[in-house]
Amino acid sequence: MTPRLNQRQRALALLIGAAILLMLIAIAGLCLNQAALITDFSRKNLPPSLEMPFGTDWMGRDMLARTLTGLSLSIRIGLLTAGISAVVATILGGAAAMDRRLDAALSWCIDLVMGIPHILLVILISIACGRGAAGVTAGVALSHWTSLARLIRGEILQLRQAPYILAAQKLGISKARIIQVHMLSHLLPQLLTGLVLLFPHAILHEASVTFLGFGLSPEQPAIGVILSESMRYLTTGKWWLALFPGGALVAVVALFAQMGQYLRALLDPASVHG
Amino acid sequence: MKRYGSIVIAAVLVLGLLASCQGGGQPDSNAKHSPTSTQDPSEYNIPGMEETASEVIVAMGPTSEPESGFDPALGWGAGEHVHEPLIQSTLTVTNPDLTIGYDLATAYTVSGDGLTWTVTIRDDVKFTDGQPLTASDVAFTYNTVKEASSVNDFTMLDYAEAADGTTVVFHMITPFSIWPYTMAIVGIVPEHAYDPASYGQNPIGSGRYVLKQWDRGQQIILEANPDYYGTTPKMKRVTILFMEEDAAFLAVQAGQVDLAYTSATYSDQAPAGYTLLSCRSVDNRGFNLPVEGNPLTSDIQVRRAINLGIDRQEMIENVLNGYGTPAYSVCDQLPWYNPASQVEYDTAQAAALLDGAGWTMGADGVREKDGVRAALTLLYPANDSVRQALAADFANQLGMLGIAAAIEGVGWDTAYDRAQSTPLIWGWGAHTPMELYNIYHTGESGSAEYSPYANPAVDAYMDQALQCDNLEESYTLWQKAQWDGTTGVTQAGDIPWVWLVNVDHLYWTREGLQVAQQKIHPHGHGWSIVNNVDQWSWP
Repeated sequence: MTPRLNQRQRALALLIGAAILLMLIAIAGLCLNQAALITDFSRKNLPPSLEMPFGTDWMGRDMLARTLTGLSLSIRIGLLTAGISAVVATILGGAAAMDRRLDAALSWCIDLVMGIPHILLVILISIACGRGAAGVTAGVALSHWTSLARLIRGEILQLRQAPYILAAQKLGISKARIIQVHMLSHLLPQLLTGLVLLFPHAILHEASVTFLGFGLSPEQPAIGVILSESMRYLTTGKWWLALFPGGALVAVVALFAQMGQYLRALLDPASVHG
Repeated sequence: MKRYGSIVIAAVLVLGLLASCQGGGQPDSNAKHSPTSTQDPSEYNIPGMEETASEVIVAMGPTSEPESGFDPALGWGAGEHVHEPLIQSTLTVTNPDLTIGYDLATAYTVSGDGLTWTVTIRDDVKFTDGQPLTASDVAFTYNTVKEASSVNDFTMLDYAEAADGTTVVFHMITPFSIWPYTMAIVGIVPEHAYDPASYGQNPIGSGRYVLKQWDRGQQIILEANPDYYGTTPKMKRVTILFMEEDAAFLAVQAGQVDLAYTSATYSDQAPAGYTLLSCRSVDNRGFNLPVEGNPLTSDIQVRRAINLGIDRQEMIENVLNGYGTPAYSVCDQLPWYNPASQVEYDTAQAAALLDGAGWTMGADGVREKDGVRAALTLLYPANDSVRQALAADFANQLGMLGIAAAIEGVGWDTAYDRAQSTPLIWGWGAHTPMELYNIYHTGESGSAEYSPYANPAVDAYMDQALQCDNLEESYTLWQKAQWDGTTGVTQAGDIPWVWLVNVDHLYWTREGLQVAQQKIHPHGHGWSIVNNVDQWSWP
């Protein structure tokens, strides 16, 4: 009998598995970048087969290569978004929690940004940043930090009044040490989980913006571009153009959401022993 | 974690929606919902009305709906895509061979200096409000159009005046020999009932049809003018629906329309009860090859090699499913076309031209000259999948010549500027030689408007053609502007543009509908098809 893994071990294994899978998609997409642009009219409109698992489109492009490249772009944009959001959210959230007047100003800012419909904000920023790949990346990356910042701020405010922090202060432990030992260890799980759960948002927003035609030029393989192109060919029965790329997008988003769950199960003090 | 679950669910739903659209494309699922509609084309609009042999329902693209209504001064008939205005009469018409015939006019003459056109008109024509159409209405129309038109160029006209009830005189600022082609697209409006604010919605004309109803964003209903002075229209009622290409295809499958525009994407489908009508066109696609500002296309031998080394027929098969003809000029098969534009596909000769010009083949299959790689970016309008595919095919074919080409989609906001140094795929084709002028004639900047090019000899022929007092003679001069034996814009000349294909205009027509013989269609897949809808018939 093989030893049964306990819940923590299983969560860890699945987390690592999901991360590796996503990393492989990201790398495969990078390698296939050139293949995704090749047009070959001798093989246009082919339904899925062993040779072309995702079929080809009306210009004879390999949809598997295009889908992987598009997903890879999405994942990379997601990564950048998560990175930028983490830094911005930590700095702003921390600053807000430390000073009352600064808190009022920053909270107002966060409310302002959150008050604008998200997709609109992404489009506005991406147009202001000159459209194209740079525009989309900037648009998505600069618009997702607010919810995380608010979370961090609330968490710090709560921690400052926590009995063990107050006790530590009374015992004369330095502020730096309190932050380092007591606060960061409590904040890190929140930050990490929030970070991973930003990915699905960022990926779907990137897909939406490119779908609406505000992002990349149509020969570029982005998942939104692929889906919006496929719309034109659905009435003529080319179902594989939408099904596989759309399914792959859903799978990647679901994978990230799952990763967030596992990470939370592993790190969150409330569920660590659950 | 509910929030993230809901994202996934939303994504799945969107996907499901996409997939279900495909189900709608099956003929059976639609037929169920409208079992009678295949027999009754009028069902779509007028429930209960019997089908008569004299009405027709046509589906056009949403962009064909005239935004400003049916006012010639605001571009109706005379806009970017010219067609016959139907509701109004014109002085002249273009014949099937694109020479000039008469509608309202009975004769025209032009003075020796080309500055005065005198046109006599019929005296038996009434507007649909009962008032007679006189020369002063004509003069009023042209003076109004000159003032108001933002889409057409009337700068050559000084003013128009009525000499008497049936004679109108046009005073020109500069000679304009092809004025009869302009007269063929300007619908005559009534002076007594013209209000610029409302005429577009309630047009009064003297043409074959009367605007009966206009539901913005949906449809236009035209009814035959009972007092029409010419041949009585056979089609008494014409309904035009505006719908996207896929919606038009679904309407065909449901039997709701008699004729619907479509494209090569759908050409391999076979909806029951319909046949595919393919109309020859001069709706061409071609790349500008900037003669300066681009290290590769500024070399004339490279431009010549490109023109020779492109297999246009293969492009037509690949991209247009065979529905197209090779293009060698902006005006193929029109009276002012110079057959010397035609070239034979010859890759060996093309390669020899490149070798001779010093572009030698590198190890990676890309040519080089003095350390410059033969690399090219090709632009295409981002929302046009046919042009994207043509650009991709063109790029593949250039690759075989040893030119590394990449394609890039652009919006029209930046396309015009970028085309000054980068080839862009354009679409042209009009029923007037003026297009040659617009593309090849030097402008005020010392270069042609859309792509850098200047040739004084070409300019001179076109200027002469415009000053000519004889239309036939002007055709010869327009032809010489393309190639006069020593210089021009063809393969042996400067070749500042390479023309690829003329895109056939495709329509689904209900079996039995007799669509009258079409003039070669100009650019714009819209109103041209109904130019002669009055002559269509059912068996």
